[in-house]
Amino acid sequence: MAEAYVHPEVLVSADWVEQHLDDPKVRVVESDEDVLLYDMGHIPGSVKIDWQGDLQDQLIRDYIDADKFASICSRAGIANDTTVVFYGDKSNWWACYAFWAFKLFGHADCRVLNGGRKLWFDQKRPTTTDVPSYAPTDYKVGPRDEASIRAFRDEVLAHSKSGKPLLDVRSPKEFTGERTHMEDYPNEGSLRGGHIPGAVSVPWARAVNDDGTFKSADELKSIYRDEVGLKPEDDIVAYCRIGERSSLTWFVLTYLLGYPKVRNYDGSWCEWGNLVRVPIAKGA
Amino acid sequence: MAAALDAIVSELHDADRQERIELLIDFAKNLPPLPERLERLKDADHRVEECQSPVFLFVEEDGDRLAIHADAPIEAPTVRGFVAILVEGLNGATAEEVLAVGNDLIERIGLPEILGMLRVRGLSGILGRLKKEVTRVSIDRISERSGDSDVP
Repeated sequence: MAEAYVHPEVLVSADWVEQHLDDPKVRVVESDEDVLLYDMGHIPGSVKIDWQGDLQDQLIRDYIDADKFASICSRAGIANDTTVVFYGDKSNWWACYAFWAFKLFGHADCRVLNGGRKLWFDQKRPTTTDVPSYAPTDYKVGPRDEASIRAFRDEVLAHSKSGKPLLDVRSPKEFTGERTHMEDYPNEGSLRGGHIPGAVSVPWARAVNDDGTFKSADELKSIYRDEVGLKPEDDIVAYCRIGERSSLTWFVLTYLLGYPKVRNYDGSWCEWGNLVRVPIAKGA
Repeated sequence: MAAALDAIVSELHDADRQERIELLIDFAKNLPPLPERLERLKDADHRVEECQSPVFLFVEEDGDRLAIHADAPIEAPTVRGFVAILVEGLNGATAEEVLAVGNDLIERIGLPEILGMLRVRGLSGILGRLKKEVTRVSIDRISERSGDSDVP
């Protein structure tokens, strides 16, 4: 018999979302790479939260502060006890990223719509271009536990030196160092190519099917447990280029497979590949 | 600059934020499909590497004018919309006109305001690739001409 995900409630189906479109305790949030998608049509009643314009501080490279997060939630009609369901383009990259950012602020009930935007539209489920408005809530950011899900560069350096599991979820060419940055816009790249020593290459896309849904628990176990050799007690760090693809891997490991100690290194290669005197490995 | 592109720039420049979003969506929806002969040539050589979404650019000569064709998925409407602006604004222009398009085009049509700075960098890669293609096509023409002549 096929095994179930460890925290199946965190992944909701399109049917579930469709049944809860008018549920005042549920708020659907669209988070995309492409900012125009929401305006072209979205799940009725859903609000747009942009990973960049909304969740990132516009001055320093960090997330917004607790007050700004509370005001974003208030504006979206999200209360502390609201079930927030994230969905988006690109197999839910940015949905997982927004999910992870909501966890940084300690929001309790976050879920991901399996299959994301693509599956919803492919199945011709209801959509609208109407932008809803909700009565503001009195959102209060409670105690935060950033350290358990977010890794910073000094911790990653120590992690690498002590040989703990490190997953590089970028494309193989980025891992080997063949590609350091995207030609013509070096600003978004890094001065050095390669990967953090000790990292194993497990491209994020291996966790998803072509239709954007996540692979089954059995398939995921054969990758992360059997092939990569991750053990339940492992302290795991995942990274990519700016932390978006690795938040999908973080979601898979934490919720679908139930690894209790997984952190996302959101500085990722855009930070590591520019740091002075940190060790780098090249090649496969 | 090419008159058609000029008109698009002023239209977008004068629009407010929401109008600009809607205009960009319209451009994305109205990008003409590739001619069938080019559809078959959607290979790595014509793919814009800088762009995460698959964008394909084709530049051909038509007398002293350029025929520009492009394709990008509707699932990436920002990229597709920008590509459509380039096609509509520059198809039929001369090589000189394309090369004269300033790299600040993206700023002038007000995209950073709606997209954020990180996202527009991918778009500048598309403009850069278009200019490279135009340069390549022009150099090919010049070398063909000099090949024809009997200059020792």
